[in-house]
Amino acid sequence: MYQYSPEDSKFLVERVDQFEKQLNRHLAGDLDEAKFRSLRLRNGLYMELHAHMLRVAIPYGTLNSSQLRALADVADKYDRGFGHFTTRQNIQFNWIELPEIANLLRELSDVGLHAIQTSGKATRNITADPLSGLTEGEIEDARPYCELIRRWFNLHPEFSWLPGKFKIAINGAKLDETALRIHDLGLRLVRNSKGELGFSVFVGGGLGAAAMVGPETASFVALDDILSYLESAMRIYNLKGRRDHQKRLRIKFLVRELGADEYSRLVDEDWQQTKDDPELKLNLAELEDLKKDFALPIKPINLNGFEEKVDFNYSIWKKNNVRSHKVSGYSIVNISLTKLGAAPGDATSEQMRILADLADEYSASELRTTKRQTIVFPYVRKDQVFDLWQSLEKYGLASPHQGTLAQIVACPGGDYCDLAKAVSIPIATRVQQRFDDMDKLLDIGDLNINISGCENSCAHHHVADIGLLGMQKNGEEYYQITLAGETLHETNIGKKLGPSVSGDVVVDAVEEIVNVYLDNREEEERFTDVFKRIGIKPFKEKVYE
Amino acid sequence: MSDILEPKSIVNKANENIELVEFDEFINNINKYETLGVGVIIKPSDDIMLLKDSLYFIELVVLDFNDFDDGRGYSQAYFLSKRWGFKGEIIGINAHLDQLQFMLRSGVTSYELLEDYKGFNEEDYSNGFSICYQAAANNSGLKQEY
Repeated sequence: MYQYSPEDSKFLVERVDQFEKQLNRHLAGDLDEAKFRSLRLRNGLYMELHAHMLRVAIPYGTLNSSQLRALADVADKYDRGFGHFTTRQNIQFNWIELPEIANLLRELSDVGLHAIQTSGKATRNITADPLSGLTEGEIEDARPYCELIRRWFNLHPEFSWLPGKFKIAINGAKLDETALRIHDLGLRLVRNSKGELGFSVFVGGGLGAAAMVGPETASFVALDDILSYLESAMRIYNLKGRRDHQKRLRIKFLVRELGADEYSRLVDEDWQQTKDDPELKLNLAELEDLKKDFALPIKPINLNGFEEKVDFNYSIWKKNNVRSHKVSGYSIVNISLTKLGAAPGDATSEQMRILADLADEYSASELRTTKRQTIVFPYVRKDQVFDLWQSLEKYGLASPHQGTLAQIVACPGGDYCDLAKAVSIPIATRVQQRFDDMDKLLDIGDLNINISGCENSCAHHHVADIGLLGMQKNGEEYYQITLAGETLHETNIGKKLGPSVSGDVVVDAVEEIVNVYLDNREEEERFTDVFKRIGIKPFKEKVYE
Repeated sequence: MSDILEPKSIVNKANENIELVEFDEFINNINKYETLGVGVIIKPSDDIMLLKDSLYFIELVVLDFNDFDDGRGYSQAYFLSKRWGFKGEIIGINAHLDQLQFMLRSGVTSYELLEDYKGFNEEDYSNGFSICYQAAANNSGLKQEY
């Protein structure tokens, strides 16, 4: 697994030293709140409803067991024994004391972790398919590209004070587990007609109040030209992006106002001036070195004669949580952290240490994090999956909910977040209670529900089969329902069902929607396919009748 | 630290005889200034592209970094310094201590800090990292000290 060099580690420490000076000036009254806010956000630090929250990056969603143990130590020492895995391959700690932040960050830097640019109006943590390198049909593992691009935009002199936050995702797989077209900028690894590797570029996607699927601005950018193209894409945004309206800061508004064609033209015009600059060429030799660092730590194994154990509960868990691996003899195991009443993505320090130990034993000491707030063990021998399941069972981590309706994605909501308009976690709990019959869940099959407590859409409700958006009406909590959003096979923003419904009846509405789906489903048809075939009307009639 | 990063003042002796004009005044009266040798004061909202063809007679450019969250000045400095190779001084005024590293790497050649930052060690903020990860106006990139 890729590890930071001594120079990279030194850089992390220097960044902590710098932030500590800024913090001390702020605490001494020499740096006002507005400027400190801007600086602390660039170091991942938020002021939440009750305390400071720190967002730590998990670059391209890959962690080793030592890093997870360090995160568990942070949870115990600086938080209340919890960490929250987010939808964008970060982990958040919610009870951080301001004066302790520098020591916390130093401890993380010892294991190559940091909070640099996990917030603020700059390039955020770059996300990748959590199954990068593991699945058949993938063009290439996206993670080495994530790392090179992450470095390039780390404290970039020109692009660290953009109009708004800037999220990048890179995908090299057939299915889009990254949801790249709802990012400010998405890169898809492709081959051109000559078989050369490069990127298709999509700019201006986003969720929130004006959800938008990012249009393609370039169908093929050669590998070594990608840095200059990205610089041009950001330069046009930096100079022309809206700064006059707090709700129109993101690049999607610029792309919408200029039109995708005009934005693409401006980027291309700028890019033609820089693409031949040798200083802006991606270092292909360095890329090849990085690819070696990201090479899979396993070789094919022959398991002829291996017989899978027969166990009813194991078979249900395996059906939902285990996927085939491109390397013969191995499986990919998905571990759900879902617990009734707890925030989705929450893990205790004890769970983190257990997962770290199990990763050492069963998964070459490596774990991945996903946008569905689950943990992936990427390298489990097929003949050890049963043993792993037994261990997970022992520790209460063998929830068989992966991919089912019970694996709900929800933001912290009104219980924790001062931006939220409504609660999320109690609604998720009530949905889980309503659908607590495993037979029913298996019958429903792959169907996802995402719940956001406000228009910031942290739970990505727009791209779920069933999306719920919390809002306030006359002092009461209501939920806007959207249906048939998706990103995996193609990218579509969910359609609004109709007027928002009260929190009292929203779970009934979800049940009605699921029933319409089941009544109309043909064989293994997915929710989005049923929706496309029968339209919104049958769902509307049932919910509002 | 290289010479280019040495802080100078907008009112240093080399500049004191240069007439400074606002961007709009300059753009509306370019012919008038062509033989005078002027300095042009640019706000973040000014279109830097309009200066490109006049750079050969502009002595210095002043960029205003007063708004802490407005990053347009960094792109303006980049165009002047790196893209167009402007040889005159690029002065950052109303500068913030915590943004010196970004200003200087974008191509600003000298700066004047806001009054608020008197007494703080500027080098802590202008020269605080042992490596950088990207090419910029002041160097060609990776692993070079800045």
